[in-house]
Amino acid sequence: MAQHDVEITISKTGEVKVHIKGAKGKSCLVYSKWLSELVGKVKDQQLTSEHYEPEIKARIDIEQNLGIDE
Amino acid sequence: MGAVLILTPVIIGSWPLIAAAVAGAASAMGLMVSESVKEAVKEGQSDVQQSVELELSDSKVLAESMATDQEIVLTKGTVELRVKRDERGRCSVCAKGTGHSKVELKQIAEEFTQKLTQCFVYDKVMRELKNKDFQVVNEEVTEDESIRIHVRRWMD
Repeated sequence: MAQHDVEITISKTGEVKVHIKGAKGKSCLVYSKWLSELVGKVKDQQLTSEHYEPEIKARIDIEQNLGIDE
Repeated sequence: MGAVLILTPVIIGSWPLIAAAVAGAASAMGLMVSESVKEAVKEGQSDVQQSVELELSDSKVLAESMATDQEIVLTKGTVELRVKRDERGRCSVCAKGTGHSKVELKQIAEEFTQKLTQCFVYDKVMRELKNKDFQVVNEEVTEDESIRIHVRRWMD
């Protein structure tokens, strides 16, 4: 199972900063879209290196295909 | 890791949801909710009463849930804040008070609208996080009066 963490900071002025951790690839985008629609308008968005990592299932498939042992 | 988003809140909600946030903001700022509008206005005061009205630009009160004359009156000392839905369906805050300049009243109204926005976003986010089965790992109010929420869930 994958652990998905979300840190939400609501500033004194109401501006919201969201940090999504553990969610990779498509699932990260799903969280981003959901939270954006929930709160309001996106002022800034930065995708981090984890976003570009494949999700676990896809990674295992890729690793098996490539014959990589962990 | 993952993604970092900066979001500007938009306040769209039924009057009961906005009223709940108003109550939260009022409590945080030590404002009293007046039972009656008449009680909030002290008559016969010799000082000139100033007033300032602010509109929450990114807001929309769902009209079907609110009568046009509905408003919440909050008081603290000689300052009175009225929260209502304006003709365009937006939420507006009007600050009035004797013995205060327009600048002071504008500052009070701005502080209140910011706190109202923070409370509204907090209520909405927490409600949705619970609906999505997130567990709250930590929740705190920081020195700069921000609310920090850390939630987690496990996915197959």
